[in-house]
Amino acid sequence: MANQPLFILLCSGTHEKIQIAGMTAAVAAVSERPVYVLVTMNAILSFKKGAESPRRYTGGAFSKLLLDKKAPDAIELFGQGKMLGDLTMYACTMALDLLEWDMNNLTEDLFDEALGLTKFLSDAEDGQLMTL
Amino acid sequence: MSQRKTIDARGAFCPGPLMEVIAALKLIEIGDEVEVWSTDQGTVKDLPIWVDKVGHKLIETNECDGYWSLVVEKTK
Repeated sequence: MANQPLFILLCSGTHEKIQIAGMTAAVAAVSERPVYVLVTMNAILSFKKGAESPRRYTGGAFSKLLLDKKAPDAIELFGQGKMLGDLTMYACTMALDLLEWDMNNLTEDLFDEALGLTKFLSDAEDGQLMTL
Repeated sequence: MSQRKTIDARGAFCPGPLMEVIAALKLIEIGDEVEVWSTDQGTVKDLPIWVDKVGHKLIETNECDGYWSLVVEKTK
């Protein structure tokens, strides 16, 4: 039986949620499970090109722990998932429009394309949807 | 004769050791092995599950002095 695709709708700009999204996406992708991530709302601000950790993240007590103890960087985890597994990254078209951004404003070599919510949800009918 | 590559991932947090093993497996030949040293508690449970899921072979797991050593053979 083929592995059920995992769809992650990443909305939160909170570091801890972006971190678990990156961990989940990377591990699922390298476990032969297709993963699709749509980044939107505050989350997309952490994917701005040129932003550097730790300033790209805002979070609470666990964010501080992640940074102080040098846990794997969330954005880099998405990159590893793409490099080593089957991970597709989408930037939300609405978020880009509101920010007056295009794909050039986002972390390089990470996003595959801009996508609307309707298409993402339609595709997600064939898999498991997780919202963070 | 098979080759063994050793990765010292001690001090790395989840899923760092797993991702390092996967990256190393991509670069070696079928039949060769990757040994990872990890202090991450999850590795000793997660890595065998990943190996079983994707079809590689876990050769051995050893608890050493403050860390675990796991050896994976690339089978495909």
